[in-house]
Amino acid sequence: MTIHVRKAGLLTTIQAAPRGGLRHIGVPASGAADPLSLALANRLVGNDLLAPALEASLVGPSLEFDKDAAFALTGAQAKAQLNGEPVPFHETVHAKRGDRLEVGSAETGARIYVAVAGGLMADETLGSMSTYLPAAFGGYHGRALADGDVLQSRKGTAENLRTPENFRPPITSRWMLRLCRSAETNRLVEGQRSVIFQSHWLIGNRADRMGLELQGATLDVDSSGRLPSAPVFPGTIQCPEDGKPFLLGVDAQTIGGYPRIGQVARADRHLIGQMRPGDHIQFLPRQPQDAVNELRLKHDYWRQWLPGIEAVI
Amino acid sequence: MPYDTEQRFGEIVACGDDLLAVSISNTVEAQRLADALIASGDWLEAVAGIESVVVQFDAARMDCQSAENALAEALDLDTEPVSGETELVEIPVVYGGEYGPDFDWVCERQGLGPDELIALHTGTEYTVDLVGFTPGFAFIGGLDSRLDVPRRDEPRQRLEAGSVGIAGGRTGLYALAVPGGWQIIGRTSATLFDAEADPPNRLTAGTRVRFVAIAPENL
Repeated sequence: MTIHVRKAGLLTTIQAAPRGGLRHIGVPASGAADPLSLALANRLVGNDLLAPALEASLVGPSLEFDKDAAFALTGAQAKAQLNGEPVPFHETVHAKRGDRLEVGSAETGARIYVAVAGGLMADETLGSMSTYLPAAFGGYHGRALADGDVLQSRKGTAENLRTPENFRPPITSRWMLRLCRSAETNRLVEGQRSVIFQSHWLIGNRADRMGLELQGATLDVDSSGRLPSAPVFPGTIQCPEDGKPFLLGVDAQTIGGYPRIGQVARADRHLIGQMRPGDHIQFLPRQPQDAVNELRLKHDYWRQWLPGIEAVI
Repeated sequence: MPYDTEQRFGEIVACGDDLLAVSISNTVEAQRLADALIASGDWLEAVAGIESVVVQFDAARMDCQSAENALAEALDLDTEPVSGETELVEIPVVYGGEYGPDFDWVCERQGLGPDELIALHTGTEYTVDLVGFTPGFAFIGGLDSRLDVPRRDEPRQRLEAGSVGIAGGRTGLYALAVPGGWQIIGRTSATLFDAEADPPNRLTAGTRVRFVAIAPENL
């Protein structure tokens, strides 16, 4: 089936599962910035949880379907219309041939997901169909969508589903992230570790799939002696000499040269994809094994609606 | 707690709920260890830094302590030391001008003439220490001490693909257009990353490299 992109939005890419096991050759994860919302959208249209779908940053796309098609919207809060009539998020929607879907701007949260029954066709590179923009591979010819692009989807059928209320993740502008120590946390000078947890952090304007600028306290990092470049991951907080930390996202580079002062726990990394400039963050300290135990509890909960959740978050 | 009587590895430290780091002094050995760990299939990721390896384990299936024990065991087995003759790759570089925005700054800071800088950079055979940061980016050690400059205080928001930077005693090759903080002295036309090739990276740890100065029209 063909989908015409009438308006692409601000930055809309095809995202699916991350690229795994390739960081040792310098290839980042990429994939959905908020994989939980991607999985919820795919669930509503009968796809594999990490099937290729559209991820729109801040501004949703306008799409026209050339055949009857089922789609679902999840993620950031936004208004959406099908031929001018409001359509809900978190429900299977059946579009008729020629119907036009218009998704507005995100009011809360940063990323909107549009899944289509059957899943979008996309370039597979290095084991994943997710777009990685810096190297221009995966997804739709390795790039963000532009007005006038034409997407293809596989055949698929969808029954009518609604995400149960208790499985709709809250989209907010005030986030709490569980944070573990990282390799250079001990480079924070005396008393600064508690500053991370006591401070009220704000997301700065430099915010994309690679990372988020954190504003709030200026941290005092002992940077005496050159730090040899070391592996970093989505969820790593690095702090340069200027004391202004940043939090890495799904497109994070594989190696970084600044002290790693914290690591967001795996259970909360999917939240990073919904954070936008001006949002607030509070960090909660966790011991590693406690964070692992909480991850498993989270999996147990989500498995009820999303079997296979372990591959998602 | 040291895990290796020969002290080739430091202690294992947690750097997150599902990440463990071990320090290792030799960068090429770190990359080989990471390759061996990822090949074992026991880890989601195994990544070498300049002086460390970090593994990511699947916290859905593995506890922190059992992951640490598994890593300690894997270090005991370890890999073969680097041996044998490796390939020599020539990297053509246009030095200075619009292709090397920090070239003049480096000359001035180090008291070198343009020809001297080029002669120093092209006059040595190097070995690739590490590949990472982005696809195709190579850390190449062994820079002449007269070329030892720090990173820029403020990273550039975007470098052109192929940018050749120096910092901290190493040359770095930016395969992609990304933000970066190294001092850019030139640009190469070499293809450093090809997703369709096997392996995708032109250079790997241990590859021997020589830089060759070329004219801009040959870029």
